[in-house]
Amino acid sequence: MIIVPMALIVVTLTWGLIRIAPGNFYSGEKKLPAAVEATIRKKYGLDEPWYKQYGMMISNVIRGDFGDSLKYQGQTVNEIIWRHLPYSATIGILAYLLALAIGLLAGTYAAMKQNSVLDFGPMSLAMLGLSVPNFVLAPILVIFFAFTLYLFPPARWGGPSSLVLPVITLAAIYAAYIARLTRAGMLEVLRSDYIRTARAKGLSDWTVLFRHAFRGGILPVISFTGPALAALLAGTVVVEKVYALPGLGDIFIKAVLNRDEPLILGIVAFLSILIMLFNLIVDISYGFLDPRIRYE
Amino acid sequence: MMERQGYSRVIVGISALLIAALAFGCASRPSGQFFGKTEPPANNTLRYVSGSEPETLDPQISDGQPEARIYMAIYEGLVECDPKDQQPIPAIAKSWEASPNLDEFVFHLRDNAKWSDGKPITARDFVYSMRRGFSPETISRTAQLGFFIKYAEAFKSGFVFVKKNGEFLLEKDFGGVEKDSQRIGPETEFSKFLHSPARVTIDGDEKKRNKALAADPKLAEAVKGAELVPVTAEDIGVEAIDDLTLRISLRQGAPFYIGLFANQFFRLVPAQSIEKNGKNWTRPQNIVTNGPFRVKEYRPYDVLSLEKDPNYWDAANVHLDGIEFYPIEELSTIMNLYKAGSIDAMLNHAVPSSWIGEMRGYKDEYLNFPEMSTAYYAMNVTKPPFDDIRIRRAFSLGLDREALSSFRKVTKPLYYMSPTGVFHDYDKAMAKVSEEKRAEKGVSPEEWAKNIKFDPEQARKLLTDAGFPVAKNGDTYSCPTFPTDKVTLTFNTNENNRSIAEFVQSQWKQNMGITVPLKTMEFKTFLPFFKGLEYSGFSQLLWSGDYVDPYSFLSLEYGKANEGGSGFYDPKFDKMLDDANSELDMQKRYEMVARAEFYLMDQVPVIPLTVNATNWIKKPYVKGMYPNPGTLIPWKFVYFEKDPAKWDKDVANIFTTPDPKFDKQLEDLKSTQQAVAK
Amino acid sequence: MAENLETLSGSSPWRDAWKRLRRNKLAVVSLCFLIVMVVAVVIGPVIIYSATGFTYDSTPTDNALVRSLPPSLLHLMGTDDQGRDMFARVLQGGRISLMVGVISTLVSLIVGVSYGAIAGYFGGRIDNVMMRIVDVIYAIPYILIVIVLLSVFGGPSTPAWIQWLSTTIGGAGNQGLSQLFLLFFALGLVSWLTMARVVRGQILSLKNQEFVMAAKATGVGTFGIIFRHLIPNALGPVIVYATLTVPSVMLTEAFLSFLGLGVQAPYASWGSLADIGIKNLAIFPWQLIFPGLTMALTLFSLNFLGDGIRDALDPQTRKF
Repeated sequence: MIIVPMALIVVTLTWGLIRIAPGNFYSGEKKLPAAVEATIRKKYGLDEPWYKQYGMMISNVIRGDFGDSLKYQGQTVNEIIWRHLPYSATIGILAYLLALAIGLLAGTYAAMKQNSVLDFGPMSLAMLGLSVPNFVLAPILVIFFAFTLYLFPPARWGGPSSLVLPVITLAAIYAAYIARLTRAGMLEVLRSDYIRTARAKGLSDWTVLFRHAFRGGILPVISFTGPALAALLAGTVVVEKVYALPGLGDIFIKAVLNRDEPLILGIVAFLSILIMLFNLIVDISYGFLDPRIRYE
Repeated sequence: MMERQGYSRVIVGISALLIAALAFGCASRPSGQFFGKTEPPANNTLRYVSGSEPETLDPQISDGQPEARIYMAIYEGLVECDPKDQQPIPAIAKSWEASPNLDEFVFHLRDNAKWSDGKPITARDFVYSMRRGFSPETISRTAQLGFFIKYAEAFKSGFVFVKKNGEFLLEKDFGGVEKDSQRIGPETEFSKFLHSPARVTIDGDEKKRNKALAADPKLAEAVKGAELVPVTAEDIGVEAIDDLTLRISLRQGAPFYIGLFANQFFRLVPAQSIEKNGKNWTRPQNIVTNGPFRVKEYRPYDVLSLEKDPNYWDAANVHLDGIEFYPIEELSTIMNLYKAGSIDAMLNHAVPSSWIGEMRGYKDEYLNFPEMSTAYYAMNVTKPPFDDIRIRRAFSLGLDREALSSFRKVTKPLYYMSPTGVFHDYDKAMAKVSEEKRAEKGVSPEEWAKNIKFDPEQARKLLTDAGFPVAKNGDTYSCPTFPTDKVTLTFNTNENNRSIAEFVQSQWKQNMGITVPLKTMEFKTFLPFFKGLEYSGFSQLLWSGDYVDPYSFLSLEYGKANEGGSGFYDPKFDKMLDDANSELDMQKRYEMVARAEFYLMDQVPVIPLTVNATNWIKKPYVKGMYPNPGTLIPWKFVYFEKDPAKWDKDVANIFTTPDPKFDKQLEDLKSTQQAVAK
Repeated sequence: MAENLETLSGSSPWRDAWKRLRRNKLAVVSLCFLIVMVVAVVIGPVIIYSATGFTYDSTPTDNALVRSLPPSLLHLMGTDDQGRDMFARVLQGGRISLMVGVISTLVSLIVGVSYGAIAGYFGGRIDNVMMRIVDVIYAIPYILIVIVLLSVFGGPSTPAWIQWLSTTIGGAGNQGLSQLFLLFFALGLVSWLTMARVVRGQILSLKNQEFVMAAKATGVGTFGIIFRHLIPNALGPVIVYATLTVPSVMLTEAFLSFLGLGVQAPYASWGSLADIGIKNLAIFPWQLIFPGLTMALTLFSLNFLGDGIRDALDPQTRKF
């Protein structure tokens, strides 16, 4: 498996960046007494030469043990990741499914009716999510659905109804991407030889569309899905902040801002494994989806 | 044709969305008497937004305010702060006495105080807690507050005593001033040790010690060949005289010290759980607490759920059945939850600045009171051009603070180091000293006021004198020689900081023709840049007092390694403060402190900007919760009033409006100490 | 696949494309809007200054006017909380946002397309290594990269060329702008990654088609095949994705500004203006509506133009 060494490279580079970045996890508004700082440096091995520290870090990472968070004392990194992943994953996957449904439908439809009002209608709607930033969309949704129609709670995790607004917010932007990529991909495929052949064989439009065109046409969407889904699982900061959800995204940003090294490395390692795993799946699915791709 | 339709639809779509949002946004303007849904929760559980996720539930580690409020619910110390004025009131100590020169305290503990696991609380628990807190092994960011306690600093810093020929070296033989110390309570072996002349302590780390000794040949000579005895936990000035009597000895008198014992650092930690579980003691299954509430459920980043602790000694007077702390930082989200009636109150400064105007309209909810917290711009006095006092004064005089405060809406202008309007007796002392100074100079009161306040003409003159001539062109000024490419105004990223900086920048541009470039930095990048004096020009400094005394602010510029961030150090100022702190008469001491403050401000190490003000809202049915100067809430006083007729009205008078239920509870609690004081 | 040979023979497929684009009314309107927008952000601030004396950072001398004022004839878009003219700020913000968008898109077009094409064409081990490099860069948290970049280059020791660039564009003493250049750099660094993946996917599916075989048979070199045959045929998704990059980098910039890593006050970008505006929506709605609408319309036009160009370059546009 290539994934593990790749993740180690990512962890190494990230570790280097953390060490170059100014500030450290224990710096705060008030200066610490010198002796306490010395205790900290000793406790976390910061007074050792860098290669020893690196060696210690990487051997722990290989064993899958990232240690304790430096900021949130007494909590292990693994525990934090596994505790908050379900929140991010629930919202992320639901949002992506919704985005796929809207995006594929709008994109395919627009491609079939290219340059008619039926093309621009769904596309305009899809692009709304792209043109309105989610930090603007989210409060507007809250004002509308929580304080005017009183349909959904304005924030916090709790029950399915609390998921509706975050999922819509998050799906909006991805739906726009998917719709546009689908439209372009479908147009590209619809004019290619094998579709012509299929049509020449007298297959119906729908058969051609779903049995042949669709598989090739959504390739760009598939390329996009790998990293997008990984990023979604790792959490989305804006949505988590606005809706006060305990997802991984906000935790990660805070970890970076707090220079919480073990937590940063843990999430980065987790994210890089996800990205590579998903990209691998994407690459494999290329072969299934598009008969033109052959791996030598 | 069709395409155009498509296009116009798009525009119509966006406009419709924005207009809809606008319409609904406007519809949320003050209409009812209360802001949003206002209904006491049926389960008698307070829902409070506490700000950032608590770092840990160990009260001795973190210095954050969000944590402090949580610790107040689950831990108690010797004293608690008065919900209204933050002065110390009895907690586990039912009463206390102080030695005449305020350097030793004896606390009498209650005999019915218990841990949440039912174990009785004794004086030894306090000794354990303090020894643990001062141990170099405990990474505490608040331990410095306790360094007045005898040998606490030496222990925390890993220092050693020096023993030569069977005798310890003494401070008084090496230039130290032996403070007159008086014992209170019975004499014990330990008290004899504490009241014997102070011993010399030196760094336990050899390298650092040699460096320090190099500067002191007499001590170096004495240390040669001597035995080094580490300062241990047993040496610090905390003693359990018996199960229910605790004695704390300070290295010098500190009139403000009793109030400090309400700080989170001095709250009890459970020996029984720490010894058994180590670093895991704060986990919900291991944690043992001693406050009015105990941990029921903890879901980090979501909710910390507390329930009333039946083992708490004063459980009969705890009104709420529980508290839910929500860690939320996004201000508009907090406001939304409040409006939806999903929370009852929130942390200080939670009302976004653009909402303040609207919130003021809700007179039964919006809390705007003086706060023990200030904002300054520190100037790096070690780097030109700000090593020149004229330049520093020019920038201070060139800023219209009245305008800044009216722009900021809730703050008050600040001209000194300590906040005005918070320490009432001290304000009197300041006024008296100010009058003295004016008489000394023989200037009119108007001119004297101008001297420290806004005076752009004088500012321009000072700049010109310092070699940066200010030219007048029409209505505007210019100062082409001032090195604006070398200085910045640096602040850590925050919307309020940015908005203050932009305002100040434009003031200086208008009044002096100097555009100081702004630089915003992420907090951890900002810290070393600011504290390490890497900046040149201005850096924003925000400070909240740790205890109700101006010393909490003046100590910012005290000593060589101070927290003021200006690189300012003046032994004369330090001496003035030291002398003031050994003065026993309170008002006289304040006058001495005030003189030190005037002396400090004459050298302009900082540009004071504003005294902050509390800025939060609570539902009118939440009673017993007061916007004191630190917004520190003793939770056992808080209760829900079901009867709308008794809800808070016009909270501008919240401190003076009687609340029989609350007043009686506070009176009863204070009575045990008042009996002793009489 | 005669069209591709046409490209090779240098006839005028671009003129045909332009013709087709002109027939697409929506794309033409979008193009016009974008041109107007670019002209407005370039010369608009100067015109506002000469007409009214307002700039993006000029605050009124009268303290009573230092507050949010609704739109009027004097301030067409109202003012912000410091009493600054929103119109001037929206135009100045447009300069920065459009610059962020254009630079990142260029990087993603140049680096992303060639990288992805090379990986896709050669396939096998080369492809594998190149794509894993993309994955690695993608997985490193970019906030950390930005923090490090800003601390290494953003301090007093900013390299001279960055200072030179910032003074040339923003006038003297603009330390805020040098940070902006670092930001461009940081955003450029990550913006090409997904593009590379998209292009690679396209090339993989194109490279075994007949026209590539034909080109190979006529003795066209590898370089020629990639850049003259494969990439032009993958242009559709490339253009679509390029126009998708613009909104995403603009939003990333807004997010970084929010963390203090982006544009420095008193400069603004559309993203940071909208971020402030949304907080004031209930009270000063004009502070969201104008920057928000400008940004939304620009992104809308950009995306419709992108689709239009894609369709125009596709020689076989026809109804299915």
